[in-house]
Amino acid sequence: MFRQLQVRFGGPLAMAIVTLLGIWLIVMVTLPQLQMIEYSLKPNLLPAQIGGPEDRLTLANYATLFNNDIHRAIFLKTLWSSVLVTLLTLAVSYPLAWYLAKVATPRQAALCILLLIVPFWINEILRTYSWFIILAFRGPLNEVLMMLGLIERPIRFLSGNGGVMVGMVYAYILFMVFPLYNAIESLDDNQVRAARDLGAGTLRTHRRIVIPHAKPGIATGCIMTFMLAAGSYAVPALLGSPGSRWFTQIIYNWFFEGGNWNQGAAYAFLLLVLCIGFMSLVMKVFKVGLGDIGR
Amino acid sequence: MSSQRFLAFGLRFYVVVFFAYLFLPLLIMAAATFNDSRFPTVTPWDGTTLRWFGELAADGGMWQALGNSLVVAAGVLVVAVPIGIATALFLNTVSSRAKPFLYALILSPLLTPGVIIGISTLIFWRQFGVSGGIFLTVLGQATFIAAYVMLMVTARLQRFDRTLERAALDLGASPWQAFRRILLPYLKPALYSAAVIAFLQSFENYNTTLFVVGYDTTLTVYIASKVRTGLTPAVNALGLILILITVAVAVVYELKRRREAARVVEGV
Amino acid sequence: MDGSVRLDEVVMRFGDFTAIEKTSLAIGSGEFFSFLGPSGCGKTTLLNIVSGFITPSEGQVFIGGEPMAGVPVNRRPTAMIFQNLALFPLMTVFENIEFGLEVRGVDKRQRREVSERLLALVALEGSGPKRVTELSGGQKQRVAIARALAVEPRVLLLDEPLSALDLKLRQHMRAELKAIQRKTGITFIYITHDQGEALTMSDRVAVMSAGRIQQVADPMTLYREPATGFVAAFVGENNRLEARVIDREGERVRLDGGALGELAGRAGPGVRLANGEAAALYVRPEHLRPVAAGAAGPRFDTEIEAVHFEGAWVMLETRLAATGEKLRVQLGHEVSRGQAEALAAGQRMTFAYDPGDAVVLPDDGSPVVDEETGEVVESDRAQAGGAHV
Repeated sequence: MFRQLQVRFGGPLAMAIVTLLGIWLIVMVTLPQLQMIEYSLKPNLLPAQIGGPEDRLTLANYATLFNNDIHRAIFLKTLWSSVLVTLLTLAVSYPLAWYLAKVATPRQAALCILLLIVPFWINEILRTYSWFIILAFRGPLNEVLMMLGLIERPIRFLSGNGGVMVGMVYAYILFMVFPLYNAIESLDDNQVRAARDLGAGTLRTHRRIVIPHAKPGIATGCIMTFMLAAGSYAVPALLGSPGSRWFTQIIYNWFFEGGNWNQGAAYAFLLLVLCIGFMSLVMKVFKVGLGDIGR
Repeated sequence: MSSQRFLAFGLRFYVVVFFAYLFLPLLIMAAATFNDSRFPTVTPWDGTTLRWFGELAADGGMWQALGNSLVVAAGVLVVAVPIGIATALFLNTVSSRAKPFLYALILSPLLTPGVIIGISTLIFWRQFGVSGGIFLTVLGQATFIAAYVMLMVTARLQRFDRTLERAALDLGASPWQAFRRILLPYLKPALYSAAVIAFLQSFENYNTTLFVVGYDTTLTVYIASKVRTGLTPAVNALGLILILITVAVAVVYELKRRREAARVVEGV
Repeated sequence: MDGSVRLDEVVMRFGDFTAIEKTSLAIGSGEFFSFLGPSGCGKTTLLNIVSGFITPSEGQVFIGGEPMAGVPVNRRPTAMIFQNLALFPLMTVFENIEFGLEVRGVDKRQRREVSERLLALVALEGSGPKRVTELSGGQKQRVAIARALAVEPRVLLLDEPLSALDLKLRQHMRAELKAIQRKTGITFIYITHDQGEALTMSDRVAVMSAGRIQQVADPMTLYREPATGFVAAFVGENNRLEARVIDREGERVRLDGGALGELAGRAGPGVRLANGEAAALYVRPEHLRPVAAGAAGPRFDTEIEAVHFEGAWVMLETRLAATGEKLRVQLGHEVSRGQAEALAAGQRMTFAYDPGDAVVLPDDGSPVVDEETGEVVESDRAQAGGAHV
């Protein structure tokens, strides 16, 4: 491998490339993850106890999750809520991606994409915060609903899961739209026309032609959205309430309130396993490889 | 036929609603900046004011956080851009049986939740006596931002005609000269884009930063803490300013990118 | 300045695949030398070995008498013109031409002098400040030549540089390349699959097939005295007829053509033919002329299948009455307009040839022909050996 780099770039530059890549993959990516796993397998000890008889590998930190009903419930809720957010985002994004890729004129599409990119560039915190204002107890949404006479007194949107999920769909939608758009865009228009010609209705055209073609895009979008949703801290922290906690918040608490890093590391690793599990599942279901991911 | 037309109309309507959904919240947040109310809201409207901009400017904590954010973003640029370029060059050059594995490893920071990158960075550096702060924030953020840089550089690298490098060598250039005079100028647009994106990603990051920032504060962390405690429309004023800057940068960036793309089509 | 190139028992293998079989060759200083062969025959590999992009598995390359082993691409006294030209798109014409001097540290004034002189040589005065993307195909070609000449190579390597141009321009550039070569006196090594290019420009041509040089000769000899069946079939057009040697008298060979009766041809002194051995007789379409049926000497009774009017000549596709094999015949000035107009499918005609024009070679199998283009792709032996994909 080094030889190929050396031939192309010369010795010093090849050396620099390998060094930078090595530092990144080893010191920044791999070792910290391994260290986290090791941490998760050790009990939380006082400095004096380290190296002592109690300093041994144990699965106790993982057992905590299964013994703690609340944590387990939050873990499962995070799982299914993230799945729900993913599906919701997919449903909301698909028509738009279709419109951009195949219906809109090039000028319209270019304008729409610019309009999509702008909020995409804006801070996730700010995007979430805007929903905080809308969903507030005395916020505009409640006011409008009351004005229309749909409700008699304001609803506490910010106390349940609803607010969190709305905020997440909003925050992560573009991670779904763009992979979908890229995938659908590469579909040959004639295939759609041919399907129509052969008498396929709109639904069937999408089910048999567009969606199979867009598989890699759908998979990428779902993986990214799920990962962002399950790993989100900002959205539940801003739009949720103490009654609707997210798994990331439990992890945070282990670190900075419980002071038990080992326990926190175990929970963090479980979150990672959850994401990897979801990713493997999606890749298997959609029969796509890692090469298709990464835009 | 009429059902087709109905569907087409429905789709257009949907697109309009979608963009309303995308922008309305931001507009409401912006509007709340000018409401003379103690809380950030647009209902009820208590009169128009600009005083929240003044209060924001007087907020020393905000300026401190902004300074930190800029320092971190600069640090991330210094760390992540060279790593991203090196990785892209590596992937573009090397063919080996280990490559799929390496590629998975290289992509992994993008597929790992940000909180986990923060946590693992925090844990790893504890053994060297380094605790949360600006240094770890740079490292944590650079871990995944480098992968973004890699993707952007790779996209351009894949369209590079390697015969040009051969031609340079053939004309007597050293591999380094060929890199500096031929490949690097070719990559330049992608490097600028990557730097802009890396800066923005760093500036906006919350999930990773939260775990590694320690007692320091970046602007994003500062906004989040303000929203949860001590919320006033001054946050909106800050948000509005950030949005305006971001929009300006985004539009300029996008227009530049398109001009570049058009040039590519023309064969430049 | 010695621009001679010598290959000494060069072999190139990629894994199990042998791209170049053991090859030795000497190219004189100032010679215009071409490698001609179908794609995949190894000619580009050979060029890359000379330029230094790849190192041969075995053997040595000498340029100007000096061994090139261990001398990297950027230190060799060669310059290459690439198939896609590989002009640097972000640079101007000046910057392109001066690139080789710039990396050698030549100062700016001197560089500009050289590039102005070369632009004049390739008739592009005043185009220096232009971006290369603004140039036409032919102009780009000239810039590529100027850029390569700027480094004062002893050997210029040209990798099918004209293939991207349209026919008219290509023919014009042939003449120009030849003129530049004569003016500069630099050794040109030219790679092509287009025999027209090779024959019109070259002092000598090496015909390659399946990693092996089939014959090295000047264009005329190549055409008149092909050394192998592959060369006979690849260079120009040829009808191949299988026969058996009856006897040989000097160059003159008598053959038993089976159902075709007794045939005759010519074999060079180097061609070994044993009496009774299988051989192949090659008769070019333009060497066949119509005769009356029943005339004396070797002749072919045929039935016309198709008539192609090509302007300067008429090409007939006929079938031999005796064997059913195809025979292509080219009729030029020897037929009058009235005769030419009377030619039609289904007509019977008899053709004869001068045995001095027909070459006899040992039967080394029929060449493999691309079914779509009708071009010779590879010699049969290589295919049978599985050496080529």
